[in-house]
Amino acid sequence: MNQGGKHKSKIKAGLYWLAPYLVIAAFLVFWEMTVRIKGIPPILLPAPSAILKYLVEMTLDGSMPYHLSITFLRIMAGFVVAGFFGILVGIAMGMSPLVARIIDPWIAALYPLPKISLIPLLIIWLGTGESYKIVISAVTAFFPVAISTVAAIRQVDSGLMKAAKDLGANARQVQFNVVIPAALPGIFSGLQLGMGVTIIMIVAAEMIGGTSDSGMGYLLIHAGQVLETEKVFAGLIVLAVFGAVITYGQKRIDRLIAPWAHKDH
Amino acid sequence: MDIAVDNLTQVFGDGVHQVVALDRVTHHFPSQRFSCILGPSGCGKSTMIQIIGGIEPFTAGAVKIGGKDQTAEALGSHSVMMWQHLNLFPWRTVIDNVAFGLEMQGMVKTERYERASKLIASVGLRGFERHRPAQLSGGMRQRVALARALIMERPIMLMDEPFGALDAQTKIVMQEELARIYERSKMTVLFVTHAIDEAILLGDEVVVMTARPGRIKEVIKVDLPRPRSQDMVNTPEFGRLYDRALHLIREEVLSAMRQQEEMAG
Repeated sequence: MNQGGKHKSKIKAGLYWLAPYLVIAAFLVFWEMTVRIKGIPPILLPAPSAILKYLVEMTLDGSMPYHLSITFLRIMAGFVVAGFFGILVGIAMGMSPLVARIIDPWIAALYPLPKISLIPLLIIWLGTGESYKIVISAVTAFFPVAISTVAAIRQVDSGLMKAAKDLGANARQVQFNVVIPAALPGIFSGLQLGMGVTIIMIVAAEMIGGTSDSGMGYLLIHAGQVLETEKVFAGLIVLAVFGAVITYGQKRIDRLIAPWAHKDH
Repeated sequence: MDIAVDNLTQVFGDGVHQVVALDRVTHHFPSQRFSCILGPSGCGKSTMIQIIGGIEPFTAGAVKIGGKDQTAEALGSHSVMMWQHLNLFPWRTVIDNVAFGLEMQGMVKTERYERASKLIASVGLRGFERHRPAQLSGGMRQRVALARALIMERPIMLMDEPFGALDAQTKIVMQEELARIYERSKMTVLFVTHAIDEAILLGDEVVVMTARPGRIKEVIKVDLPRPRSQDMVNTPEFGRLYDRALHLIREEVLSAMRQQEEMAG
């Protein structure tokens, strides 16, 4: 009786673990069957098997790795610029009320502006080359990084600062040994938000501009224009997986650098 | 080092929101003695030791340490605080928390680690040097905070209800340990508490404070022999002191409750 109970709970645990994969598999089978039975034209909705075929082909002929790596490099360039200036400005604003007072109106005015509306102006100034794509993504990602950094620094527990002072730390030592480390988890969540918008803006910038000829955004818009729907789906799948990998990688780095901020360390 | 407060007054806020936290408090805390400051919540007992520790500026009066008048800046250099919420640095390991004060003085790593290791061992935490505060129990965190304060070797130790959050058993162990450390040292200790038994068990004198505005109501001398231990709780002498303090505190708690009712009505 007892043995049977144990056996049952093992099956239950296995099912719990498998459930999401089973649902994905069932969804793909349903999709494949619907397309085949109803005879839906591939221009409207290609079957998963057809998408997979294109995915393999595009990987083998090198076009997918090429566009993906170009997009990746642009994302990293935009992200590094936004991260650097965002953290710098955020720390300056968080630590100096004067700097915060000077910069606050600029952020208040520019933050709510949809950054995508800057594209025409940036194309006039910078053309449709690399600098335009990196600037538009960096400008967009700058705000969440800077704002999260300011908030993180202002929310540092004043008890920790008082304790450090009591133990003989001077003002500069309090900033570097207490305020910045205590703000790190908040700065990281700002960087994660920044990464999200960088991906969006790079892919969007690759779609717009006419003369662009590389990147995942170009691949998607180009395949769409000639009604190669399989390629569009293949590109979307690669972008989705790519985004998930970047988010996961960022979380791992976060845990490595600020392990105290997570309950299970 | 002895501490003399003379007509010490602390007023928070202004106008109708003005709160008198301390009202002309005058007392002499004898050198190398353990003084407990007992009073109802909000009586200004924490405020008093924060002023003595140079953490808060004060409105009026004077604080003399070692017979000399002290400016607010000079106050902090003679004392170290063990905080109610401990204020350990969550991103630092035990040894880096304990060695924080030495690190701020610019002491080299090998030397400060050597001294921190000795103190960590003396508070019973050998083997936990590389743990972070979140990985320790409440009692162990108290020991880290105690070691971090002791390493400063300041003549005055200020303690703001450090054992308030502990369970009853751990509290007994920590009280005995603190008594043992104090008895072997030459420290002057000011210990804020609202637990009558704790105040009598640890103190050479119990300074009973009134409800807001904080004044000194009575000073009870405690002549229990040292070393102190938990067994003394059952002696008639302890019972007599307990009854005296309870009588005083009950009056003040009732008066504080009346004050709150009047404000609410």
